[in-house]
Amino acid sequence: MMELIEDAQPVEILLVEDSPGDVRLTREAFKDAKVHINLHVATDGAEAMAFLRREGKYASVPRPDLILLDLNLPKKDGRAILTEIKEDPKLKCIPIVILTTSSSEEDILRSYQLHANCYITKPVDLDGFLKVVKSIDNFWLSVVDLPSKTPR
Amino acid sequence: MKTKTVSLRKMQFGLGLVLAILIIVGLLSYRTVAASQESAQWVRHTHEVLENLEDVLAAIQGVETSYRTFVLMGDEQFLESYRSSVLRASEEEKTVRVLTADNPNQGRRLANLAGLMEQKIQFGDALIRLRQTESEEAAVEQIRGGQGIRLMEEIRAVIRNMEDEEHQLLSQRDAEAERRSRQTKAVLIMGSALGLLIASGAGWTIQRGLASRARVEEAFRGSEDRFRTLVESARDYAIFMLDPVGRVVSWNAGAERYKGYKAEEIIGQNFSRFYSPEDIERAKPEEELRIAAATGRVEDEGWRVRKDGSRFWASVIIAALRDPSGKLLGFTEISRDISEHLHSEARYRGLLEAAPDAMVVVNQGGEIVLLNARAESQFGYRRDELVGQKVKNIIPEGFAERLIADGTRTAADALAQQIGTGIELQGRRKDGSDFPIEIMLSPLESPQGILVTAAIRDITLRKQNVEILAQSVSELKRSNDELQQFAYVASHDLQEPLRMVASYTQLLSKRYRGRLDADADVFIAYAVDGANRMQGLIQDLLTYSRAGTKQGALLEISSENALDEALTNLTSTIEESGAIVTHDSLPAITTDNTQMVQVFQNLVGNAIKYHGAEVPRVHVSAQKNGGKEWVFSVQDNGLGIDPQHFDRIFVIFQRLHGREEFAGTGIGLAICKKILERQGGRIWVESQPGKGSTFHFTQSERGGK
Repeated sequence: MMELIEDAQPVEILLVEDSPGDVRLTREAFKDAKVHINLHVATDGAEAMAFLRREGKYASVPRPDLILLDLNLPKKDGRAILTEIKEDPKLKCIPIVILTTSSSEEDILRSYQLHANCYITKPVDLDGFLKVVKSIDNFWLSVVDLPSKTPR
Repeated sequence: MKTKTVSLRKMQFGLGLVLAILIIVGLLSYRTVAASQESAQWVRHTHEVLENLEDVLAAIQGVETSYRTFVLMGDEQFLESYRSSVLRASEEEKTVRVLTADNPNQGRRLANLAGLMEQKIQFGDALIRLRQTESEEAAVEQIRGGQGIRLMEEIRAVIRNMEDEEHQLLSQRDAEAERRSRQTKAVLIMGSALGLLIASGAGWTIQRGLASRARVEEAFRGSEDRFRTLVESARDYAIFMLDPVGRVVSWNAGAERYKGYKAEEIIGQNFSRFYSPEDIERAKPEEELRIAAATGRVEDEGWRVRKDGSRFWASVIIAALRDPSGKLLGFTEISRDISEHLHSEARYRGLLEAAPDAMVVVNQGGEIVLLNARAESQFGYRRDELVGQKVKNIIPEGFAERLIADGTRTAADALAQQIGTGIELQGRRKDGSDFPIEIMLSPLESPQGILVTAAIRDITLRKQNVEILAQSVSELKRSNDELQQFAYVASHDLQEPLRMVASYTQLLSKRYRGRLDADADVFIAYAVDGANRMQGLIQDLLTYSRAGTKQGALLEISSENALDEALTNLTSTIEESGAIVTHDSLPAITTDNTQMVQVFQNLVGNAIKYHGAEVPRVHVSAQKNGGKEWVFSVQDNGLGIDPQHFDRIFVIFQRLHGREEFAGTGIGLAICKKILERQGGRIWVESQPGKGSTFHFTQSERGGK
């Protein structure tokens, strides 16, 4: 399930996404990224939390610099994960980008209320999607200083 | 009252006095009369005595004459005369004795006289004997002796004495009689005068009393006359009097009017003829008089018969007339034709019967006095089973009865304001089953006092309908929610796999165009196009399903600003088409701004999109539609629409043009319609092909907020 991209000084990104098609698309989109990205994928909420807390087989995984979170997930959905992370003092500093197909205002509002750092609706067409991933790459990985970049 | 008693006393006293005086005068007069009668008797007595004394003297003289004659003549026949004279003298003397028995003086003289008469007779007897036995000369000698004459002289003297005595008595008695007569006269005059005085005084008093009484009577007669005139002229009431057995003794104009009889026709007739034959058979007239006599009065309502036999419904009061001692003098009857009341009651009944609800009229005692056929059928009773019954028999909750009682009590207030506006209660049928009712009460003033009209509506059906309706509404809501949910979920969940299809076909076309064969490129192109169109449809479906559901706060907004916002959103469209969009001054309305922008945007967008050969011109205006509604109009000079499609264009995904002509899924007008209808507005179109279209929609002004 986990795929690691070996690279020097990579940026660690956790993608919480249950659709392999989307995972692949995301991965494809990050191929052209300016920085080297280690994209870790969790396919459901439980797995995501285990990864973040380095539980079980995730004992030695890195702490992600950025979380891309889908809202509609099996078992524990994105909203619950968002709540849990933002209530955890050790994890709440990790920026979370909601990347979902839902464009409902309710979901958007709710997500920001739960302290999501940004909300992006997955564009329906490929070009749009690629553009969005590129923007994330640009903004969150180049423009923004993230806590994980500062010494732990 | 008091003065009357005093004057009566005075009069009684005066009369008593007069009576006493008259009695005294009468007694005195009687005594005087008796006395004068007595004195007259005495006078007569005296005269009698005097006459008898003369008779005695005459008899004695007769004795003397007859014995002398005998002596001289010697004839025996003179002896006879002598003896009769002696007898007569003695008889007369006896009479005088009887007459003078009361007078001792006269008695003594009479005794003396009797002696003398004795002597005289003895002298006469001796003379006669002498003549007969001796001779005439001896006898004459004897006469010449003078004894006879002497005796005669003495007798005469005694009689004279006695006569004098009697005369003296007579004069005494005359004087006495005279005195008494005078006295009587005086008493009579004085008594009469006094009596006259008092009588005239009394007479004056009485006269005065009579005069004032006459005045009172005059006045009384006047008021009586007026009263009679009043009664006689009363035309709205038959007022007449009956004697104790019911014969008519007086008759007024009203009686003539109502009953048809003239006074002269009816007076003396029995009043029972005013009653119907049935009543007469039941002896009702007699019964009513009996009750009136026993209780003072009787009231009745019923049929009465006119002279011509026709009937009228009368209200009758018969009152007994009694004198102060309680003796029944007769009756007065006052009656009135209340047929009109009856008519109004009949009208009221008619009204009741015509009412669609059960109508029950209840009196203060909570008893049913009137009901309609609907009430019979609703409660399952016959009319006669309910009239007179307590209303609680059919409306068991004491609440209703209390309400009605309150209603009748406070009727004055209640008349001004309706008592009840629909109270839900339970009604009970004759078979004991209950059913829901609604009661409306309204007070009714009637001759029997305040009544309450209760309109009772069986609301079983309504309650059922309400329940059914509520059920339907909730079902509809559930199904709507489901549909909404379905549309949302479907479009959302459909989007995921579709996005995969679209994304990967696009990725395919991006990476492998020209690297496979020509067919592959065409196939991939179709797949990409189909996926894109489907994405558009799903996107629109999602938009449509959300349209109007998330209504924000209704605020007063400027519709002009909303239009401006829409035009801003349409900037590129307008610029590309070179369209000229104009508008009038637009009003402030209360609505959801976002939705208003959406509506303008869709309509103006369509107007530009479906343009003809000319430069598209769009004009937006608004007009007040009579009431509180604004009618907005978006007019264009575009292609126009065939009227047969007017309905279709507002249906989701309905398009009049091919995709090659115009892009789009056909969602814009459906969304406008949905938004506007959710707000209670309407949208419609006026158009002719080739002459442009005008879309109208309404927005309520909605003041306040």
